Amino acid sequence: MIFDSYEAYKQADFKPKVCILGSGPAGTTIARKLGAAGIPVVVLEAGSREFSDESQDFYRGKTVGDFYFDLDITRLRFMGGSSNHWAGWCRVLDSQDFEPKAWAPDTGWPISRADIEPYLKEVHDILELPDFRPDVPVSDDIRWVQLIKSPAVRFGEKFADELDRSKNIAIVLNTYATELIGDGKRVTGAKLWSNGQDAGTFSADYFVTCTGGLENSRLLLWSNERSNGGVVPNAAALGRYWMEHPTFEGGNAILANYSEFEVDASNEAFFSPTLAAMERLQIMNFGIRLIESPYPNVKKLIADLACTAPNMAEWMSSQLDQRLRCAAQLYVAWEQAPLASNQIELSKTDVDHAGVPRIELHWKKSPLERRTLLEGLRLFGTTLAQKNLGRVRIDDWISNGGDYPTNEETAGHHHMGGTRMGTDVLKSVVDANCRVHGMDNLYVGGSSVFCTSGQCNPTTTITALACRLGEHLGKVISV
Amino acid sequence: MSRFIKKMSRRAIVQALIALPALSLFRNQPAPANPDEIDRDEIVEINGWILRRSDLA
Repeated sequence: MIFDSYEAYKQADFKPKVCILGSGPAGTTIARKLGAAGIPVVVLEAGSREFSDESQDFYRGKTVGDFYFDLDITRLRFMGGSSNHWAGWCRVLDSQDFEPKAWAPDTGWPISRADIEPYLKEVHDILELPDFRPDVPVSDDIRWVQLIKSPAVRFGEKFADELDRSKNIAIVLNTYATELIGDGKRVTGAKLWSNGQDAGTFSADYFVTCTGGLENSRLLLWSNERSNGGVVPNAAALGRYWMEHPTFEGGNAILANYSEFEVDASNEAFFSPTLAAMERLQIMNFGIRLIESPYPNVKKLIADLACTAPNMAEWMSSQLDQRLRCAAQLYVAWEQAPLASNQIELSKTDVDHAGVPRIELHWKKSPLERRTLLEGLRLFGTTLAQKNLGRVRIDDWISNGGDYPTNEETAGHHHMGGTRMGTDVLKSVVDANCRVHGMDNLYVGGSSVFCTSGQCNPTTTITALACRLGEHLGKVISV
Repeated sequence: MSRFIKKMSRRAIVQALIALPALSLFRNQPAPANPDEIDRDEIVEINGWILRRSDLA
């Protein structure tokens, strides 16, 4: 069932067991799992069926530190959430991403990749993915990895009919849960705002916040402040360890045989470090994306190479005569070291139309990440040269320690951390089952529970974790 | 030894010190490389390019 307003929903006299906040990939997946298990669930979606400037305005906020996107641009507030502008790249975090790294504090998850693997078949069906091929080692240092360009499922569109037909799932649009009320053991209700005004308090046995990698922290910080710590009793890490995937053009490559690397329809290929290389160089994970260079760029690249290695440039020139596809731009996206100082705070001065403080995001890239960028490109370049697969030129601003450019991709619009998973209540917010520490009936879904980010886009892992949480909740409720 | 130094003028001592680095004994230079010993596969980074040494020929 889909209701366009809270008023319409109230007339249906639906009795949910679980209340999910947010209808993005995590919220929709958990709702479908619970609905299939015969558990009545309501999904409160703050936005409507379509994009609107009025709804997006609730997402405005401020960033302190490094340059970042406007917070009302980098996510979407309507049915289906940020899947509505997702590019569709898919890959699950690597096994090594779940392991602690001695050289990077506060890394490591309380679960392993094996814990989410049983759900990958389901994830492939949801995201319409073919099977992934295994990684291909290019050298002892570099793996050729696969990111699948999926059809970019818009969860609101894809599942609208199914959700509308469901007797166990009620999607309630235009209904904003401004605050959870808790007594330090349980959430007792959610305050709602609908139709431009307070709409009372909503009750359910279980609550799952799936409002996104920024908004989950905002909701819980505000709720906790209002309930005097009654919603997140162990709040030392709440809002902290926030992460993105910084993304910049890092250089260019000349390739001996471009087609040697199987590329997808968008002619892109991806490369990541082995764990051994990360350990040796003490760097984070990264992904180097090859994007075919336009012809004028290739000519400039050859001219530049001619100044340093004339014979090599001559060879390159002959390659260019034989095939146009022989050079690539290198885009690097990397894993951020989890830092408590990268955090979401509530603004002290600015509130949205419902009176909820807006986000103040504190975000800075660390020296370890800068080293990851440089050493990552060196690793890749060395591998290509050693194997005679090609040659790499690293951009000057990276080699010379210049500032990050402000006119490039900057980051992936991937919002991770803030309510991270863990066993230490001082450094995490939820346990291995995504339940808020100390709370009997409050769970968190989505990438805000990520402990580390790996190098790949988060949606596949978000969906797998949501399948796992949906199944877990189903078991808890059925007992 | 000290008598010998005392007899030298200050100017002569300074000139000797200046000349010392010019002696091959004090120069930190390897013997001229044998072309056969150059590792042509060595990876070098020049002007941002990551190349094999043989690329520079």
